[in-house]
Amino acid sequence: MNRLVAERSLPKAVIKKARPAWLLWLVPIGAAALCLWFLYRDFVATGPLITIYFQNVSGLQAGNTQVQFRGSQIGQVKTLTLTSDLQHVKVTTRLAGSAKDLARAGSLFWIVRPELKMGTISGLQTIVSGDYIDVQPGNGEPTNVFMGVEHQPLAEQPGALSIIVRASALNSVQEHSPVFYRSLPVGEVTGYQLASDGRAVMIRARVSQEYAPLVRENSIFWNAGGLDIHFGLFKGAEASAISAQSLLGGGIEFATPSNPGAPAANGAVFELNEKAKDEWKNWAPSIPLHLPDQAPRTDSLPNSQPPEPK
Amino acid sequence: MGGDSLIACETCGLVQELAEVPKGSAAHCARCDFHLFHRRPNTRLRTLTFSLAALILYFPSNLYPIVTAEYHGIYSETTILQGIRTLFQDRQYVIASLILCTSILSPALKIMGLLFLSLTIEWPRWKKARTWVYQVIRIIDPWNMLEVFLLAICVSMIEMGQVASVHPGRGVFSFTAVVALTLLATLSFDPRVLWDSPEEKKRYE
Repeated sequence: MNRLVAERSLPKAVIKKARPAWLLWLVPIGAAALCLWFLYRDFVATGPLITIYFQNVSGLQAGNTQVQFRGSQIGQVKTLTLTSDLQHVKVTTRLAGSAKDLARAGSLFWIVRPELKMGTISGLQTIVSGDYIDVQPGNGEPTNVFMGVEHQPLAEQPGALSIIVRASALNSVQEHSPVFYRSLPVGEVTGYQLASDGRAVMIRARVSQEYAPLVRENSIFWNAGGLDIHFGLFKGAEASAISAQSLLGGGIEFATPSNPGAPAANGAVFELNEKAKDEWKNWAPSIPLHLPDQAPRTDSLPNSQPPEPK
Repeated sequence: MGGDSLIACETCGLVQELAEVPKGSAAHCARCDFHLFHRRPNTRLRTLTFSLAALILYFPSNLYPIVTAEYHGIYSETTILQGIRTLFQDRQYVIASLILCTSILSPALKIMGLLFLSLTIEWPRWKKARTWVYQVIRIIDPWNMLEVFLLAICVSMIEMGQVASVHPGRGVFSFTAVVALTLLATLSFDPRVLWDSPEEKKRYE
């Protein structure tokens, strides 16, 4: 051994500068930073835990059902528990951080299920995705407890003209039935009730703000629902309906005489005629309307600043 | 010793003379330029830092979902524990216990063992306990490879992208990091320090 070493000199190891050992501490520090970042993201992304009471929660699943607003997911149902009086089901829901302003008094929550009514099919996507909870934002004080509503509430329409139409019978008119002007839907039926003396049905309807000037004190309303069948000697039978929707779900149409009267006030009462006379359909009053531009707007993109709740 | 000693490169096998290495420096092989050492450099610190990082990330890896799947609005998040519970409910007891052992128990045991080794290695006592712990880690180690198998399952689920949109959750990143960090911690642990006498420890520092 010694001779070997003496005869052949061994190569010498090279000494180089080593990386400082404290660099190794960056590994656990990095891991801790990652955990803190996760926690921070959770903190930012997590909104309030709200409680909604529903009469019936068929179709809801704990840990699965979404809360949606304007079609985007803003929360998830966490638990479903029966209240002690067995009258309601308590649904606890975790909202996303961006949706915390929806947890305000006046917010209405309802369950969207597939529905076939009034000639329209709605909630069809829920057949595949399962039912979900939709919300209409309120603007009261922040709160975390809500009473769910059974059906989708009518969207608020500021400036819409509310009128009452007196009919001898409800016939096919329903809630959400359209109100037509020249076969164009300009409003909808918001509700109905029997007159206080029981001799007529009072149908509440509203006409959107932009079409409100069309309704005058001397306007005439008639039932536009169902099928309109004319028998003529030479033409045979002629059937017409304004739209498939009114065929099934009923509707109200109105016309204003060529010399329009004063604009109708909120709560004005009109009589509902069973059938339209041909002369009503020929009326063509000139009423200036302020209609919104039909072209898609590009000039008014939403601000990055969310609008202040009213 | 006189400072000089013979050392064989662990990579290319060249026997060479090694002068005393001053602090803050490292010896490199004259032929292949690889690290040259009697004991793995900073073995204690490396094992400590890597297993500490693994311990920190062990929690998010089990608390956060491994995958979040979305299928036409049906939204589901699955953590490892939930997955195991589902398997138990489906009466897949063998696979469930296998995943429980390989992805929850064995990383935990390994991390604890490595922390114990790196923290107590300087103590003259508990030598036998350390050897025993090292043995256990050696036994667990091959089973940890099943984590890779679990990751393969995750990947195949992500491949389902056309049917459902499946996103890897935060858990899977943490979990991968835990697997990699425990691997590094085990690799950088030099078992020879287990039986080094105090003089040897000083020499090979």
